[in-house]
Amino acid sequence: MIRRLASGALDRRTLIKAGAAVGLVPFAAPYILSARGETPVKIGLDNPLTGTYAAVGQNELIGCQLAVDQLNAKGGILGRQIELLSEDSTSGDAGTAVQKARKMIDRDNVDLLVGNVNSALALAMAQVTNEKGVLHIVPGGHTDGITGTDCKWNVFRVCNTTRMEANSICPLLFKTYGKKWHFITPDYAFGHTLYDGCEANLKKLGGTVTGNELTPLGITDFSAYLIKARAANPDVLIVLVQGNDMVNCLKQISQFGIDKQIHVAGTQQELESVLAMPSEARVGVWMFEWYWKQAAATPGLDQFVADIRKRSGGKVPTARTWFGYVTIHAYALACAQAKSIDAKAVAKTLGDMELPPEVKLQPNKVYFRGGDHQLMLSDFIGELRQQGDGDPENLFKVNDIVSGDSTAPAVSETGCKMNMPT
Amino acid sequence: MLQLIFFNITNGLIVGAFYALMAIGLSLILNLSNVINFAHGGFLVIGAYLAYTLTPYLGFWGALIVAPFLTAMIGLIVERLLIRRLYGRDPLYSLLLTFGLAFIIEDGTRQIWGAQGLPFSVPQALASPLSYEFFFITGYRMFMVAMVAIVVGLLFVLLRYTRIGVRIRAGTLDLETVASLGVNVHALRSLNFAVGIFLAGLGGVLAAGQLGLEPTMGDGLLMPSFIAIIVGGVGSLTGTLLGGLLIGVAAGVTAVIFPSASDAVMYVMMAIVLLVRPRGLLGEEGMMT
Repeated sequence: MIRRLASGALDRRTLIKAGAAVGLVPFAAPYILSARGETPVKIGLDNPLTGTYAAVGQNELIGCQLAVDQLNAKGGILGRQIELLSEDSTSGDAGTAVQKARKMIDRDNVDLLVGNVNSALALAMAQVTNEKGVLHIVPGGHTDGITGTDCKWNVFRVCNTTRMEANSICPLLFKTYGKKWHFITPDYAFGHTLYDGCEANLKKLGGTVTGNELTPLGITDFSAYLIKARAANPDVLIVLVQGNDMVNCLKQISQFGIDKQIHVAGTQQELESVLAMPSEARVGVWMFEWYWKQAAATPGLDQFVADIRKRSGGKVPTARTWFGYVTIHAYALACAQAKSIDAKAVAKTLGDMELPPEVKLQPNKVYFRGGDHQLMLSDFIGELRQQGDGDPENLFKVNDIVSGDSTAPAVSETGCKMNMPT
Repeated sequence: MLQLIFFNITNGLIVGAFYALMAIGLSLILNLSNVINFAHGGFLVIGAYLAYTLTPYLGFWGALIVAPFLTAMIGLIVERLLIRRLYGRDPLYSLLLTFGLAFIIEDGTRQIWGAQGLPFSVPQALASPLSYEFFFITGYRMFMVAMVAIVVGLLFVLLRYTRIGVRIRAGTLDLETVASLGVNVHALRSLNFAVGIFLAGLGGVLAAGQLGLEPTMGDGLLMPSFIAIIVGGVGSLTGTLLGGLLIGVAAGVTAVIFPSASDAVMYVMMAIVLLVRPRGLLGEEGMMT
């Protein structure tokens, strides 16, 4: 054994060195997405590009890229070009996300940090940006704390809080499907706060919870929970899991025929998940955080869809693409209005700033709330379609668009105590 | 309550049969070549995606047959080019190699087929429950269990009654003696690896019927397979089969009593087995009989 090791083509030291080198690759030079001009405004995107959230992270990146290119074509921010840096935060490793955030702030000197899809990673990154005094926009991490108990002067969020999601759809589910609800909830921060929101709504409406199945994140087999859920005989089975868990769960629900015996519905649903399901699994009433097809004519929407199709191999924008797009445009607008890229000045302007039609791309008023830095965005309520209507990716029928003002709890109820620096 | 537990034991056996299929492939490779194949989940993903690509041309049934063979071919190439170089070294080396391979396969899949998950349907004839009462027993799941039973049965016959099988079993016990008797150990290991990867590919196609198709889909299935081997006993294929079924049932029953622990219960079982009987339930002689 010893002899073989010594005479082998690859000895241990070489291997360990090679391993170390591979390990360092992610920390080497970031991939520079667009760079022009002398002193560009730097935006760092620290978001998942690998792992479970790779697909949604990729879409947020595409949205950011489109906005950066549009802005650069019109002269950038305050006459300076924008440079977008992108790093892979991984889907679940807070250590990596924080390390990348520190690197982008300390070495790359970014003016704005963007991320993360994963709520836990977003919270961890917010600690860093707050400590460094760098402006930070969270495009798509939903847990309440980010603009609630953990809110910070430099942190803004584009997507809904879980409470907003629950408030947007629960009354309709109650009215349509009945009062006995059974939940399948992912067992982490996002799932817990989303469940709490739904339960609070259900109690207020006078309904009952027949059970709440807390499922480990990334579980592949839902059969044991589905057996329990059906035995409890609820009026509606509420599916709160997300991403691939959602795909697995709905696929198994449809194979077991449960959707033919109990109503199946939920809160947040994403086009990325629906596209990954076979047609028979596309059932139920849900909410989308943004949708690419709207009944009434929306200024700028067609152009946005066409621009994104060009960049994503013909695919339509999802809510995630829109999150990325809004993040960059909102920042640029605030800088222009504040006539500065200083974090404090931009943060003050961004609070209570209303988004123009070509950025919000939806009917209701959309604005950042000064009190908690939460974007008041609309929720799109409707039903899944089994087959695309007019377009293979038109898989959702929007019945109602509910404004953020009506779904968000008052700032005083969020637990946020905002301390703006003077 | 009693009915719920009965349902979940039955259901656990179905889930466990699938874990066993994955685990037996892993176990084959581990036993003969001392390679802890961390890329097994990756090969499962390759099998699933190949089936997705082939289905429009060959249909589900054609893909079910062809995709595992293609996966095994890829496995064979990987073995010839990479894994072979590390035989005879500490298993840590091949563990590191396959660990890296797992990442390469995941990202490679993402490059070729995209990060966005893809829809994969099973034939209509299998996609519904057999009875109203036992709704969790669908045609597809029964088909899966039957496939696992057939493949495992064939494998056991192969290992017990054919010359190659006898050599693989002998090699598991003492490879040097087998080599000194004039058996081409290189070819034997290649073939054995390919059979293991074939099982991963088959597992991938079967899993794609129930799970969403995306580059990380193998991750969630790899750990239960390792646990099945450890619980059942390293070196024993019967043990691996038993280990797979046991953790399937344990996870099912725990889901009734304490749902959020249904994942953790597998690890608890593993810890208990390691404390009480470190070689695993049937891992006595390192032989499969």
